[in-house]
Amino acid sequence: MSRHGYTYSAGKLLRHGLTRGAWPRMWNRPERRDSYDVIIIGGGLHGLATAYYLAQNHGITNVAVVDKGYLGGGGSGRNTGIVRSNYLTPEGVAFYDRSLHLYNTMAADLNLNVMLSRRGHLTLAHTDSALRTMNWRAEVNKLLDIDSAVIGPAEVKRLTPSLDVSPNTRYPILGALYHPPGGIVRHDAVVWGYARAADHLGVHLLQETEVLDITCDGGDGPDGKGPGGKVTGVRTSRGDISSPVVVNCTAGWASLISNMAGVPLAITTHPLQAAVTEPCKVFLPTVVVSGSLHVYVSQTDRGELVFGASVDPVGTYRVNGTLEFTEELAGHVLELMPGISKMRLMRQWSGLCDMTPDYSPIMGHTPVEGYLVDVGWGTYGFKAGPVAGETMAETIATGRTAELIAAFTIDRFTDGDLVGEKGAAAVGH
Amino acid sequence: MIVVPCPNCGPRNSSDLRNAGEVAPRPDPETASLTEWRSYLYLRENPAGWVTETWYCRSGCRRYFTIERNTATNEIRESENS
Amino acid sequence: MSSHRLPIRSSELIDRSTSLSFTWNGRAYVGHEGDTIASALAAAGVEVFSRGMKYHRRRGILTANHWDPNLSVQVGDEPNVRAGSRRLVDGMQVSAQNVWPSLRWDLGTANRLVGRFLSVGFYYKTFMRPQFLWHNLYQRILRKFAPGGRVNWKTGTHGEYDKRYAHPDVLVAGGGPAGVAAALSAAEAGASVMLVEQEPELGGHLRWGGPDDLAVLADLRQAVYSTPAIEVLCDSIVTGRYDHNWVAVLQRSHEVAPERLIKARVGSLIVAPGLVERPYVFAGNDIPGVMLAGAVRRLINLWAVKPGSRAVVLSANSEGDAAVLDLESAGVEVVAVLDARAGEDVVEARGRGRVSSVQTGDGRILRADLLVTATGWTAPTSLLNMAGDRPVYDKVAARYFPQALPDNVLATGGIAGDGSTTELTAHGRETGLLAAQRALRLRHDRRAQTPRSPAPESDRPAAIADSRIPLRRSPHPECYRSTTHGLVDYSEDVSSKDLIQAAGEGFDSIELMKRYTTVTMGPGQGKLETVNAAAVLAEAMAVEMADIGTTVWRPPFSPVSLGALAGRIFEPVRRSALQDWHEANGATNLLAGQWVRPDHYGDPMAEASNVRENVGLIDVTPLGKLDLRGPDVANLLDLVYVNRWQKLEVGRVRYGAMVAEDGVVSDDGVTGRLAEDHYLMTTTSSGAGAVWEMLEDWLQTYRPDWEVHVTPVTGGLTSINVAGPRSRELLERLVDNVDLSADAFPYFSVRTGIVAGVADCIIWRIGFTGELSYEVHVPSGHALHVWESLLSNGSDLGVAPFGIEAQRILRLEKGHYIVGQDTDGLSKAPTAGLDGLVRLDKADTIGLPELRAAFERTDLPVLVGLQPDDPTIVPDEACQIVEAGSNQILGRVTSSRMSPTLERSICLAQVDPSLAAAGTSVTVQLVDGRRITATVQEHHAHVDPEGARQRV
Repeated sequence: MSRHGYTYSAGKLLRHGLTRGAWPRMWNRPERRDSYDVIIIGGGLHGLATAYYLAQNHGITNVAVVDKGYLGGGGSGRNTGIVRSNYLTPEGVAFYDRSLHLYNTMAADLNLNVMLSRRGHLTLAHTDSALRTMNWRAEVNKLLDIDSAVIGPAEVKRLTPSLDVSPNTRYPILGALYHPPGGIVRHDAVVWGYARAADHLGVHLLQETEVLDITCDGGDGPDGKGPGGKVTGVRTSRGDISSPVVVNCTAGWASLISNMAGVPLAITTHPLQAAVTEPCKVFLPTVVVSGSLHVYVSQTDRGELVFGASVDPVGTYRVNGTLEFTEELAGHVLELMPGISKMRLMRQWSGLCDMTPDYSPIMGHTPVEGYLVDVGWGTYGFKAGPVAGETMAETIATGRTAELIAAFTIDRFTDGDLVGEKGAAAVGH
Repeated sequence: MIVVPCPNCGPRNSSDLRNAGEVAPRPDPETASLTEWRSYLYLRENPAGWVTETWYCRSGCRRYFTIERNTATNEIRESENS
Repeated sequence: MSSHRLPIRSSELIDRSTSLSFTWNGRAYVGHEGDTIASALAAAGVEVFSRGMKYHRRRGILTANHWDPNLSVQVGDEPNVRAGSRRLVDGMQVSAQNVWPSLRWDLGTANRLVGRFLSVGFYYKTFMRPQFLWHNLYQRILRKFAPGGRVNWKTGTHGEYDKRYAHPDVLVAGGGPAGVAAALSAAEAGASVMLVEQEPELGGHLRWGGPDDLAVLADLRQAVYSTPAIEVLCDSIVTGRYDHNWVAVLQRSHEVAPERLIKARVGSLIVAPGLVERPYVFAGNDIPGVMLAGAVRRLINLWAVKPGSRAVVLSANSEGDAAVLDLESAGVEVVAVLDARAGEDVVEARGRGRVSSVQTGDGRILRADLLVTATGWTAPTSLLNMAGDRPVYDKVAARYFPQALPDNVLATGGIAGDGSTTELTAHGRETGLLAAQRALRLRHDRRAQTPRSPAPESDRPAAIADSRIPLRRSPHPECYRSTTHGLVDYSEDVSSKDLIQAAGEGFDSIELMKRYTTVTMGPGQGKLETVNAAAVLAEAMAVEMADIGTTVWRPPFSPVSLGALAGRIFEPVRRSALQDWHEANGATNLLAGQWVRPDHYGDPMAEASNVRENVGLIDVTPLGKLDLRGPDVANLLDLVYVNRWQKLEVGRVRYGAMVAEDGVVSDDGVTGRLAEDHYLMTTTSSGAGAVWEMLEDWLQTYRPDWEVHVTPVTGGLTSINVAGPRSRELLERLVDNVDLSADAFPYFSVRTGIVAGVADCIIWRIGFTGELSYEVHVPSGHALHVWESLLSNGSDLGVAPFGIEAQRILRLEKGHYIVGQDTDGLSKAPTAGLDGLVRLDKADTIGLPELRAAFERTDLPVLVGLQPDDPTIVPDEACQIVEAGSNQILGRVTSSRMSPTLERSICLAQVDPSLAAAGTSVTVQLVDGRRITATVQEHHAHVDPEGARQRV
C-alpha cells in the first residue's frame, strides 16, 4: 500500500470531508537529472505504464518519462475507453487477455478507481460474411478460454433493447459476437493511476519537455544514427539528457520520433475521430460495435453517448476533426437506434493513430541498440496499455523480447510474417 | 471537407475523390531484393509536412493524379510531376 | 399565480393579441407569440426551472438565452431543450428534467447531506475494494444520477430531416450591428452573402437597447432585407468551421425539417458572434434570483417580464449600468448598486429557493429578491479556434482577443473589440469589404482552375490590404471570483473550491483540471465557464491569466441533433433488373455487399438437386464485369493476373487469379476474348469496384503507354447462369446464330449471339456449379424477357430458378474456393492451391517478388477438401481444427454444407501443411465444444473432381 504514498479509501474521504483538509498531490513536478537509466518518450498510458512496471516489477527507478505537453494529452485522453480481448489471432487474444486481466485488478493495484465497467461488448453482424468472421473469432476465443460467443437477434435485443433488430432494415442485425467481460474504463483515471504510482516509486514525470532529437553513436546513418549504432540520450526543449536506453512510447508522432534515431517505421498516421452527446438518462447498457457501419457506441455513467468510428481515410496530422465524420456517424447510429434522432451531439474531437499494414503494433528492440519502440498501435492502444507497459518493462529489464510480444517485432516487415489481425479490424472497437 | 483540385474537373470536395496515399516508387520486380520490395510495400515517409500523394477522381473523370498536401495544415499545392 | 408581465414596452417581441397554451410539469399556462418557454413561465411567476446535477439545488433563470445552463427542459419526447431560446408553440408539454419525484420535492437533494464527502473526483478515491460491490452496486447507483432528459428510443423515429449545400462568397456568423454592417458592405462589393443569426431576429444587443439603438436597428434591417444578394437565416447558428472554409450552419426553424444542416463552402467567413456575459463566482451564485445583467435586460425589454421586486446590482461595466436603468423603468426597486470598478463587491447571496438577502463586500446585508451581476464577458472564440487561432488574454480588457487568423476568416464586433454602435458598424463595414475582396479573388481563382468552365468574365480583383482601424479595448476590471467560493460550472456543479483542490492535487494545467473536475464538459461546453475556470486556476497557481491558456473549443459551437447531422439517410441498395421478378416469385432475399439478391425460393436443397438433374437458372448480375478494349489488353492481363494471357484466342476463356503487391490473393474470375482487341473480364461481386479502380491505377500511373480502355458493365449486363445437364437443350431453343454443340462451342469458350430475339448477348460456356452450364449476359433492358423466355421454354425440361444458397452448395460440392471466405487477409497463392496456375517467369506481375518468395516457403497453410467422418455432422463455418488433446489451433473450416448429391457433409478447410496430405485425419471442434474427426480429401472437389460433367 505504501507504494502509493497516500492511500485513498472511503475512510480518507470521510476524514477529508470532516476536516476539510487538503488532499496531497497525485504526482510531482521534479527537477530533471542530467542522466537516467531509461528515458521514455511519451507521457501517455503506454509510457507511464512502462515506467511503473520498470519500477514495480524490476526495481528500475532511475527513469524519466518526458512529454511535450501534459500527462495523457494524446491518444490516452482521446480514446473511448473500450477494453476487450476477443481478438482474432491467438497472439492477439493472449496479449489483450493479459491486458484485460491487469485492468480487472487495476483499481486495487494502483489504489485509484479507474471505473472499470464490465458491461458486455457486442459486435454486430449485418451480413452472413460478417457473421462468419464473428464465428471465427468466437471459436478462437473459446479455445483460449475467452468468454465470447455468437448470439442471435433476440438475445441482442434482450441485452440492448434500444437496438432495432427488425429484419427489414438496410443493415439487419443478423447476430452479434458477445463478449461479457468487455466494457469501458475511465481512460484519464488509468493515466493518473499509473502516473501517481510511478511518481511515488521514484520515476520522474517531466511534463512540457519536448524531445527535439535522439542522440546516437556508431550507426550507419548521419550523426551516428541508424542500424548498427547505439543510443546515447535525448535532446529536449529543456536541455540534453543522457541515457543508454530510450523508449519511443508515442502515438501520432511515432514516425517522427523514430526518424530521430534513424529507424523508419511501417506506419502512416491517420486521425481517429470521436464524439459525445449531451447527457440523457441512461438507456444503453452495453458497448455496441458495428463494423459494417463503422461505428461504436456506449453510454457513460454521466449519461452521454460516446461514439467512435474507423480511422479517417486520408492520412494527416491534423486533429481538427471533420463535419462529414459527424454526419456519417449520426446516420449510422440512427440505422441502429432510429429512436434517438433528437439527442444532440455536443462535442467532437480527434486523436492520431499510427496505422501499421497488419493492424498490429511494433514493439521491442530495433536495429539501434538501446532504442526500443512501443508504437504502431492503430486504434488498439488503450486496450493494450497495461500489458504493453508490462512487456516493454520486461524487455528493457531483461534485454530479451517478452514472449507475449514476440509476434510484434519490427523484423516482421522485412521477413514478411505479418500478423493476421487485419481481417477483424475494419472497426475493431 | 477539404477541396482537392482535379486537373480535369477543377476544385472538388474531397468526398468526390479517393485518397490513394503517399507516392511510393515501385522497384523493378525482376531485380528488386525482397528487402527493397518490402520497403516499397510497408515503409512510408509519413511526414508531418508536405507529402506527394495520389488522388483518384472517383465520382468525376476517374483520373489518378498527384498533388502535394501538407499533412500538418491540409494546404494543397500542385505537384511537379502531376 | 401572479403575473409578472409589464406594461407594453417599445422593444418587446411578444404579440399580446395571441395566446399560446402549454403545460409545465402538467399544469396549464398561457404565453404569447414571441415568448420563449422561459419568458412565458417567468411572466407567470415561475422561478425554479431545474435542479443542479450533483446536489439538486434549485435553479432559476441565469442568462435568459440559449446558453442558460439552468434552463434545460424536456419538451414532449425531446430532451435538453433550451427554454431560454426555444420559442413557445401552442400545445407544448414542458417538464423539468432529472428530478424525482418532482421539481418541487426532489429526493436528489439528499446528496446535499453528504456533499462535503463528495469532493471533486471522490469516485476515483473509493469503491476500489471489494470489486464486486463496485460492479454490482455502486456503479448502478452512479448511473441513476446521470443528468439530462429522457430520450424516447422506444417510440421515436427518424423524422423528416434535410440538408442543403450553399456556396456564399461571404458568410457572416452573427447578426448584431457589426455582422449586419459587414453583410451589407460585402454585398455592395459584389459578393453573395449568407447572414446567420442565432436569435429569431437580427440586431443583437441593439434589440434591448434604447430608442437610438432601436432606430439604428430598424435602418439596418431595412437595408439588409432590401438587398437581394444577402440571404438572412435567423434562428440559425454556425456550428463549425472546418478546413478550407467548410462551414456548418444549423437552421433551427425550417418549414419541414425540425432542424436543417446547411453545408457551406465559404469564400470568407466573418465571425461576429458578439460576447457572452460571464457569471460571477461567489457563495450562493446559483440561487434563483441571481441573474446576469443581460438576462434582466432581455426579460424586461424583449418579453416585458419583471424579473424581481427588490434588486441589488453589481456592475463593472456599462451593461450593468444600463440594467439599473432598465430595472427602474420596470418598476423594480434598486436597493443598491455596487460598483465593481470602485472595488465594491458581493460576498454572498442567501435564500431558499429564491434570493432573500445579499451580503456585500463591506459587510452590509441587503434584503433583496434579485441580485444582478455585470462582471464582464467571454469572447466566444470557438470558430476562430477551429480556424487555428489561439486567442490571447488581455489583462486590461479582462478578456481574450483573436491573435492570428487565416486570410479567409475575419473577426468583427465585440469579439474583436469595443466601440459605440457607430464604431462597431464602421468596423463591420470595413471587414465586410475586405472579406468580399478576398472571396471574389478566390472565386475567380477557382473558376480559372476549372478547365471546362467558362473563363472568368472579369480580371482577377486586386488584393487590398487590411487597413481596418482596430476596435479599441476598453479597460475592464478582472472580476472573476469574490472572496467566497461559488459555482464555476452550473451544468456540472463544479465550484471554485473544487478547482483549487484539483490544482493542489497536481491537475495544474487547464486540460488536466478539466478532465479531473469535468468543468466545461457539460452541454454549454464552457461558454460561461471557461474563463472563470482559467481565472481560478491562475489564482490557485499564483500566475497571470495569460499564462494559463484555455481549453481548446471543439465543434460544434452549439449542440446539433443527430437527426440533423444524419439528414435523410441515404443508404441505397443495388438491385438487378430481375429483382422484382424474384420478389414476386417467392424469393427470400439476402444482402450481399451493396446488392440485395435471392438467397433461395423456398427449398435450396431441392434447387441444387434440380441443377444436378435438370436445369436451373440463377441471376448472377452482381458478378463484376469489365469491358476491356485496345491493343494492349493482353499485356494488362499479364500484369494483373498470376497466369499468362498472350495466347488466348478469340472466342476462348481463361480463369485468372489476382494477388496484391504483398502476394495475398485479392480477386479471381474468368476473362474471355470477344474479338481481336476486345475482352470481357469478370471479377468477384464484392471486388468489382476495387478491381476496376486498380486497373485504372496501373494503366494511368504505371503504364500510361498502354492502350486499353476499361468500362465497367456490371449493372448494364444482366447475368443469367443456365446450369444443368439439360441446359444446352434449353438454350438451343432460344439461341439463333450460335452453334451450341460441344465441338463448336467447347468448355471455356465465349460467343456473342441472339438469345430469345435479343441481340448482343454474350454467352459463356463456363460454370461454377460443375454442371454443363452457360452464362448469358443480356443487355439489362431486355433481361426480364430473356429470363421469362428461358423459364417458359423449359418447363418440360424441369427448369427452375435457384438462389445463392443452392449455388453455394453446388460450388462447394465442386470445390471452388471463394476469395475472402476460403482465403483471408494473409492467404498467399500457394494456400489457395494456385501452384499450377502461377507463372513465376514473367517479367512483371503484380506482387511477383512475393509470389516467388511464397512458393519457396513450406509453412503456409493449405486449402483442402475435408469430410467429417460422421457424414451427418456439418461443422459450422469458422470451426477450428485443433490438435487432438490440446487447444493448439491447426486450421479452420472455411466452408461447409450438407451435400444433397453425396448425402453427406462436405467442407473446405485451411490447414497446417503437416495435415494437408490426403487421408490425414484431423480434429474439428464444433461450436458446442464437441470434437469430431474428419478426413482430408485428395481434391478440393467432392463431386466429379475430373470435371466430366461440365465438359459434355
